[in-house]
Amino acid sequence: MSMNERNAKILTTMLALPALLPPAACLSYILFKGIPVLDWAMLIGSSQAIAFGSISTLWPQITGSILLMLGACALAAPVALGGALFYALAANIRQRQTLLGMMHLLVGIPPIVYGLCGLIVLVHVLHWGISLLTGMVILAVIILPMLLMNSVNAFDRIPGGKTEAARALGLSNGQLIRRVWLPVAWPALMTGLLLGMARALSETAPILFTATVFSGVVWPDSLFSPVTSLQTHIFYLAQEGANAEAVDIAWASAVILVILVTALSFGASALRKIRMDG
Amino acid sequence: MNTKKNKITTVPAELPQQVAANDAGDTSLHVSKLSLALDGKNILRDISFSLPAQGMNILIGPSGAGKSTLLRCLNLLHSDWHGELRIMGHDARCWPEGEDELRRSIGLIAQKPALFPCSIQQNIVFGLSRKECSYMPQIRIEKVLKQAALWDEVKNRLHDHAATLSVGQQQRLCIARALMLSPKMLLLDEPTASLDPRSKQFIETSLLELAQNMPVLCVTHDIEQAKRLGGQVIFMCDGHLIESGDSKLFFKYPNRIESREFLRWSVCDCS
Repeated sequence: MSMNERNAKILTTMLALPALLPPAACLSYILFKGIPVLDWAMLIGSSQAIAFGSISTLWPQITGSILLMLGACALAAPVALGGALFYALAANIRQRQTLLGMMHLLVGIPPIVYGLCGLIVLVHVLHWGISLLTGMVILAVIILPMLLMNSVNAFDRIPGGKTEAARALGLSNGQLIRRVWLPVAWPALMTGLLLGMARALSETAPILFTATVFSGVVWPDSLFSPVTSLQTHIFYLAQEGANAEAVDIAWASAVILVILVTALSFGASALRKIRMDG
Repeated sequence: MNTKKNKITTVPAELPQQVAANDAGDTSLHVSKLSLALDGKNILRDISFSLPAQGMNILIGPSGAGKSTLLRCLNLLHSDWHGELRIMGHDARCWPEGEDELRRSIGLIAQKPALFPCSIQQNIVFGLSRKECSYMPQIRIEKVLKQAALWDEVKNRLHDHAATLSVGQQQRLCIARALMLSPKMLLLDEPTASLDPRSKQFIETSLLELAQNMPVLCVTHDIEQAKRLGGQVIFMCDGHLIESGDSKLFFKYPNRIESREFLRWSVCDCS
């Protein structure tokens, strides 16, 4: 490596550092503060003592977060897939532009606005109350544009030759989707889904006043019951700065949340490496 | 280039250069006044020709002439054309079993082999329904692979992933896959482009054998290959069918100035 190349490498590394260091420092601090207070009892222990600041387990919060995430993805993924198939197979240029334009617009809306809409429409007008279902629907609406655009890109990246070859063999639209598009595009579709799950797991504001309560819930009785979640739990506990035990639990909750999101991101990253042409 | 230039001589126009466009007798494909515009641009203009029930047909012309688009129209991959297309005497737009079934009857092989992410054998039977696959004997797979001149190379590795084949083998696999559907004709879009001479020879031999039983329409830019394959030549330029006829006559006595220019320089300037 010549001197110039080495200097260029050092320079570009230094340019990248501001982007890498703050998140790395933040993550390290979360792990530093959270890991010492984490123990198995906290993860899977009894949930009897759920008084403020003396929570013995985070299990209800973990399951609440996962239920919200899975529900949101279950609602949003079929709609996103259907929208992407409409875009790829049936939409004309104007419909495509409208659909993508709307998705770009929806991506830009702050999640708290969705939360507000959910509070007014779902909680008050439809009387769903602060519930698991309300949270799932709101999170589904938030991740839908991301999932749809990812699905559109996944189908766009399928080599045109494969589609044409399948059509030339007389495959109908249904067969084309089932036998060519989905098998070829599934890594990209799953990548998007995992990133959508990570996004749903990270959102706090929209579920703060539509789906979650601080305590009193271990397992929701029905879709219309409120839940507790890791995200909102951190929010509530962090407000209790004077209570050291509460802050410790907030750090532990943060570590669990980071682990869940990181696992999803690693899963997405692994799928991205699978070549689309198999 | 000069040698080629000297060989080309003009013959009187009364020689049978134009293939009859309205003979419905022993034809498997009859195209009449076929036109296509894409994004406001005329790609094909009043194309008329017929293909006999069997034999080799070569479609040549400069890049952008509309050759590949024409193949896609014949297979109904482009369906917004105007004009008439009759296949085996039936109007292609009113094919009794529908467009998908019509496409199964017309094997279309693209320039770049497009295989599906599965084994060689699964690729061969890809166009078949599950029911058809269940009673499809192995001997049929062997037959189409032999027709595509690929059997000897893959007979011991039918369950290997199709991506393990060379590009030439992949192209022959695409031919075998199309043959598996017992097509009534074969359309090929530069099937040997960017292949080595050996693979090219395999494919040419296979096409000539297939052409004894069905019409084969092959797009090529390779004039030498067109001469080797023989049969009928259809020459297109700028969306028009300029000239068509027996290949020996066409290459020796091109009738139109565009054809002569193309053969001379392999470049056509229609403006």
